[in-house]
Order: sequence, then structure tokens, then C-alpha cells
Amino acid sequence: MPLGTLDRSPPPFFKQGPSALSKLMFFSALALFLMVADTRFRVTQPIRATLATALYPVQWLALQPVRAVQGSAAYFMGLDQANSSSEQASKKLALQSLRAGQVEQLLQENSRLRKLLGLREQLAASVMAAEVLYDAADPYTRKIIIDKGLLQSVELGSPVLDESGVLGQVTRVHPLVSEVTLVIDRELAIPVLNVRTGARSVAYGDPSAAASGSGLELRFMGSNSDVQVGDLLTTSGVDGVYPPGLPVAKISKIERRAESAFAKIYCTPQALVTGARHVMVVTPISGRIAPRPEAAEAVIAPKKGAAK
Amino acid sequence: MIMRSGQQLLLPANPLFIWASLIAALLLNMLPLGRVPWMPDFMALVLVFWNVHQPLRVGIGLAFMFGLGMDVHQSSLLGQHALSYTALSFFATMIHRRLLWFSVPSQALQVLPLFAVAHGVELIIRLIGGGTFPGWIILLAPLVESLLWPVVSVLLLVPQRRAPNPDENRPL
Repeated sequence: MPLGTLDRSPPPFFKQGPSALSKLMFFSALALFLMVADTRFRVTQPIRATLATALYPVQWLALQPVRAVQGSAAYFMGLDQANSSSEQASKKLALQSLRAGQVEQLLQENSRLRKLLGLREQLAASVMAAEVLYDAADPYTRKIIIDKGLLQSVELGSPVLDESGVLGQVTRVHPLVSEVTLVIDRELAIPVLNVRTGARSVAYGDPSAAASGSGLELRFMGSNSDVQVGDLLTTSGVDGVYPPGLPVAKISKIERRAESAFAKIYCTPQALVTGARHVMVVTPISGRIAPRPEAAEAVIAPKKGAAK
Repeated sequence: MIMRSGQQLLLPANPLFIWASLIAALLLNMLPLGRVPWMPDFMALVLVFWNVHQPLRVGIGLAFMFGLGMDVHQSSLLGQHALSYTALSFFATMIHRRLLWFSVPSQALQVLPLFAVAHGVELIIRLIGGGTFPGWIILLAPLVESLLWPVVSVLLLVPQRRAPNPDENRPL
């Protein structure tokens, strides 16, 4: 080994650069600034997008072994599963064929009735298929990363569905990937409609209950309100984001307490929040619904005593 | 540099190998294994290792940058890992002169508080920021990391323990 590569030169005696403590102060301050900028001002998206694009090759590389294992496992178990799933699918198809046959007729009838009543046409949403890359490893939130981004014109706030219901909403769009917050995340709320009664309410994510099978909570429903275990909740469409009529959750447990005016209602999400592989990204309907009516100017009655 | 008795004189560390090990740790952290709170943070482990062994090459700034990368990958709060790695790297720099005089098992015991502090910083920040509490199993993470310290110490010092002049009896 040539002696020149040996690291035996003494460390610099006087010129040591900034001390470790000052570096700690500087970088901690920078990190705190970034955190505040991220949560309060939401100005860090360019930094995130740049870093995400730079990290994409490494992420792709990290995905490969897991993909390979999944692929080989699927290859060996494939035939049995394919047989059973095709059997299930044909059963499901037979069950649905009657309804499917009626749908055309119902759609026609519906549109005629809507015209007759002068209602707006129902919006058909445009969708894009995407694949789930990985569950975000952050244990404090419930998010997944999908393989479509700005380049595929994913919009911020788009609802994301899987084959059985609403999975979540796109909360960050990077150039190549986007981040989807799941319905069971604490920060996410969905306006829902109880199909049986037609009552509207809002379902909030409740990840602490996700271990026991539920994962959503209906808040602020009176303890005498008409809800039953097994009621299906669908999107109500009043938010201008989710198209109406998509299944979100089923009510799994109701606790009516004497000390509270509200019932505690647990719901089970319909979508596969832990194992979805292929999802649909739906363009939000916000661009196509009628604009909000302008708020009428508030009329404040002059105080009686002020004139005197 | 003062020689430690009973320890082999090491070859100089190859900067390429340092970078390769850091990237490999990043890859390990990015393996899509789902949401496991007790998963050891390989990045933190390797950063502390190089901070202790090569404090002139791997410092607080590098730890900060890798922390930002982890934040973006996990789509957590931007700056959360950066702060915890900065603190980790600072404490590692503080103890680096002392730590190498101990045997490897007692080194593992001494780095345990470092990892605990790093995870504690993240936990406190996220709970203030309104995250979900991931469960007490998160306490296992620093423990697993310090249990991995001997493994990392052996693995990452292998290139420096090669024979300085290889012959047919010592090919490596």
C-alpha cells in the first residue's frame, strides 16, 4: 500500500472549523425552522419535491428485492389462487349480472327523471390507475406512496379508491410519486351519507382503533340518532371533492353512553387500508361543480344605545 | 494518536467505503417493510458509527442531510429526522474520544442513551405536531439499535482490518 494514502497526518491544531456545539445549534435551528415552515406555512413543497426526485433511484432500488420476493411467492402460489379467485369472480359476476343488466335502464330512467325535475346532470369522474409503491414507514401517520405524480398530472386533493371503496386522498404531489393519506389517518375527514337513513355526517380517521378492525369514527351523532350496526356509509358529494355514492365504511360498533349526549360510533373502512396494491386516482369534482353563491353582506343592526 | 493496548492497528478508512455504507444503510431504511414502530434505524446506527470512528469525515452536516432524505422518504414532518440525527451526531462527536477505549459490548451499552435520545426527540416532536402515538413497542427501537452495534462494528471495520501487505497466506 502506498504510504501517501495513509491517514497519519495530525488533525489541524488551530483551524478546526466551527465547534460541534455551534454546528448543533445551527442545524437544530435549521431543522426547527423547516418543521415550522412545513406545518404552518406550507412552503417546503419545492424542497420535498427536489429531494424526492433525487431519492427516487434509491427508492426504486430498495423496492426491487421486496418486489422480487412478492413476485416469486405469487408465482408459486399463483395457480391455486388464480383458480379460486376466478371462481369467486364468476360467482360475484353471476350475483351482479342481474343488477348490471338493470343499470343501463336505471341510468336512462334516472337521466330522464333528472331532466324532468330540472336537476343537474350527475358528474362522471375521470380516473387514473396507479400502483401502491410502499406504505410510508412513519408510524405517526397513515400514508401510502403511489407511483403517479405531477408528470402524470395527478392533482392535489384527488380522492383515491380501491376496488371496494374510498382509500384516501392525495395530500402531496411530487414529480414522480404522490403521497396518499388514508381514511384512517387522524387528520382526514370525509363527509358521508348513511345509505339506509339518508342522514349526512362526517367520518374522522381513528388510527388507534384500527388495530381492532375499525378505523373511522362518526363524531357528533346524537345518542338517540338513527344508526345501526351494519349501516353502509357512502360519500355524500357535498364536499365538492369526492364523487357521491362511493362506499366508505360500515358501522361496526355503537356505544351509547349515559354521560354523553353523543354516541361513539366506530366504522370499518371498506377499502383495503393495509393491503391495497392497485388503486384509482379520481380527479376531484371541485372544478366542475357550480361556484359557491356569494355571501350576502352581513346586515348588522345598529345598536340602540349608540344613537344617543 | 495514542495506541490502545491489545487492539489491532487499523488501515485508513476508504472514503468510498464510508459513502457506500451510508448509502447501503439508507437502502435498508427504505426497504418497504410496512409500518413497524420498533424497526431499527440503520441510518442512525451507521451515522453514529462513522461519527465515532471518523469524526473528521462524517459530521453533523452530513447527518442533517441524510435526516432530510429520511423525512422526505417517510413523508413525515420535514426536519424531524434531521433534528434527531443532528442531536445524535453531536452526542456521538462528544463521546468519540472516550468510547473507543471500551470493549465493544460496553460500547453498545454507552450508545444506547444516544439512540434513546434520538427516538425521544422524534416522538416528542410528532406528539406535539398532532401525530398518533405508535404504541409502547417503539421503546424497543433504541434497544435493537444498540444490540446491532457490535454487528456493525465488526462489519464496517472489516476493510480496515485487512492485512496491509497481502501474500498467499493472507489473500485479503
